[in-house]
Amino acid sequence: MPPIRLTRSLLGTFQTASPRSTATLKQRCCYHSSQYSQPPPFAPAESAILSAAISHVPNVGFTIDALKLGARDAGYLDASTNLFPRGVFDLINYHLVTQRLALKDTVQFPTEGENGKKLGTGVKIRTLALARLRANEPVVHKWQEALAIMAQPTYVPPSLAELARLSDEMWYLAGDKSVDGSWYTKRASLSAIYSATEVFMTQDTSRNFVDTEQFLDARLSDGMKLGSTFGALSAWTDYTVHSAVNVLRSKGMRI
Amino acid sequence: MNDLMSLGIHRLWKDHFIRNLNPGRNPLTSHTAQEKGWNILDIAGGTGDIAFGMLDHASTVNNDAHTKVTVADINPQMLAEGRKRALATPYARSDRLTFVEANAEKLDMIPDNSIDLYTVAFGIRNFTHKDVALREAYRVLKPGGVFACLEFSKVKNPVFDAIYKRWSFSAIPLIGQLVAGDRDSYQYLVESIERFPSQTEFRDMIKDAGFMIPGQGWEDLTDGIAAIHKGVKPASLQQVSER
Repeated sequence: MPPIRLTRSLLGTFQTASPRSTATLKQRCCYHSSQYSQPPPFAPAESAILSAAISHVPNVGFTIDALKLGARDAGYLDASTNLFPRGVFDLINYHLVTQRLALKDTVQFPTEGENGKKLGTGVKIRTLALARLRANEPVVHKWQEALAIMAQPTYVPPSLAELARLSDEMWYLAGDKSVDGSWYTKRASLSAIYSATEVFMTQDTSRNFVDTEQFLDARLSDGMKLGSTFGALSAWTDYTVHSAVNVLRSKGMRI
Repeated sequence: MNDLMSLGIHRLWKDHFIRNLNPGRNPLTSHTAQEKGWNILDIAGGTGDIAFGMLDHASTVNNDAHTKVTVADINPQMLAEGRKRALATPYARSDRLTFVEANAEKLDMIPDNSIDLYTVAFGIRNFTHKDVALREAYRVLKPGGVFACLEFSKVKNPVFDAIYKRWSFSAIPLIGQLVAGDRDSYQYLVESIERFPSQTEFRDMIKDAGFMIPGQGWEDLTDGIAAIHKGVKPASLQQVSER
């Protein structure tokens, strides 16, 4: 009896404590949850300037001039670009964050596929990655500038973090619920595939980016092959080690 | 004197401060020609260091020959020194540089909403009412105008802080006594640095005056011996819709 009572009282304390803790968590909002809406990632004035600046990027590129023109459009001054301590990188970051958050609205999966069977995770990932790449289309001829800025030593860590958040978002939207070691490998491989395809897309001259689409498919099937090879390899190793141990045990070795 | 005490680093700070603000309107890249140059107000800038730097940056980096700087200082002797130094620059007889004797808490000669950039480098520490001066800065700035302040602040690393405190409380008054023959002034200097609010406190003061804060609100220089604080005056939504 005592253990049960203990668990019960523990559960009781958890239950009473939980509303408050969720409230504080909600205030901080440092986690991903579909149950709470996230606060907008940029302050109103900042997003007014940055969204105006993005529309100038196809003409003037990812430069401080785009920011200045955006500030003018939003009713601010050239000097107001001091609102962005990281300068042009803040503009790139705005593009990355808004396009990542837009994914969940632009891509809608039907609950049932055409033939009445559910869409596979692989298909969903492909659709999501393509949708995200398509979002780069208006600025793709200037995207190499952005990649060059993201590769500057100061901005490498925030850029990689944003890439990780993007691949996490894609797996989340694809409905992946893995809680094992593959959680990491999935995100790592998708990040690698996505960033490679993004670089490929900056040099793609084909119509409607069909080459990019092919490139993405090739990389995804590579990833799939690699994943299955890796899985088979680990199963084989597991089997071999266990049988070797059992053989040694049958010979009287104390293992 | 300043070079001796800061080992010349204050020049790097001022350079960075100016470069970072990037004053001036480049006529080659700006598409609209409605306004020419920035209108800069340099408070407590009697000797003109910042003013000349701003004008040089605007002219040479941004090819802007219209940016104006108004240097304001409460101390007429400092202004005289600035005027003297200005003679060695190309701006002495142009209308791009003016000197005004003014108290930063009561800038009556500066109209509302007229300034693009308000700078104060190593001056706000000595203001009696910092909040009043901040509100006055808010008044004179155009919507979207920038308040920028370079000032001594608090060192973050405790080990470096100990070394820095030892230097400022022992060496600086001594250097003052030996070189300028005035120990008390330099004793005041280090004590006023000690009393100035920390980065977060001063950021909150800027916020309270009504400014928007870029990022975390400040940038530490040399691990926080000095810091650059910035604030941007919000443009009201009504004005945006008018344009």
